[in-house]
Amino acid sequence: MRLSHLVSMTLFALLVSIAFAAIGQRALTARIRRAIWSFALFMLIAIGIAWLLFPLSP
Amino acid sequence: MNEPADPSTESKPGDVAFSAQEPGESNPRLQAIVFALIAWMLPGLGHLVLRRWKKAAAFFLVVVAFIVLGCLMRGDVFEPGSDDTLGTLGFFADLGSGALYFLARALELPRADLSSAAGNYGTRLIAAAGILNVLAVIDAFETAARRKFTRCA
Repeated sequence: MRLSHLVSMTLFALLVSIAFAAIGQRALTARIRRAIWSFALFMLIAIGIAWLLFPLSP
Repeated sequence: MNEPADPSTESKPGDVAFSAQEPGESNPRLQAIVFALIAWMLPGLGHLVLRRWKKAAAFFLVVVAFIVLGCLMRGDVFEPGSDDTLGTLGFFADLGSGALYFLARALELPRADLSSAAGNYGTRLIAAAGILNVLAVIDAFETAARRKFTRCA
């Protein structure tokens, strides 16, 4: 399957967030909260770093 | 005075027990290491043997899903003997998947396409699967080592 970089990154962040939340938490609400928080941080940090590096791109 | 029970060390029905005090009995630490090795061999198997059904299912499903998706995205499986430090680290991460890593290499499943973004992320997913299984191994070791060794009905 041919996915763009953004879609691949989003899929990776989603899967890892869900996995860590499912394994790391016991209560359903805690899992959902952890997954959402982890996914949001993944995306924010990745896009933030991308924008920081943008001036260095050719 | 009754002390509150520690749920992390309480035995559950069906727990297998050994006494480390009697001569000829198994070493509890050695048993925990054996459980950890079993957990490494196949994702979730260590927790299955420890009768932690939900955790066994969760670890198995997550690790296998990551590997399957990584292969579908045409990620790469690292091989030993890489000159690159990241390649060596990737090999150890992939090795964490246990038998699934050797199966993927034997079947030559990934047919990697690292020219695409999906292929790169697929590689990361396969490595993440190995690391997740390492977490499962650590959890299995701690569960086995923490249990009180009493025979339950």
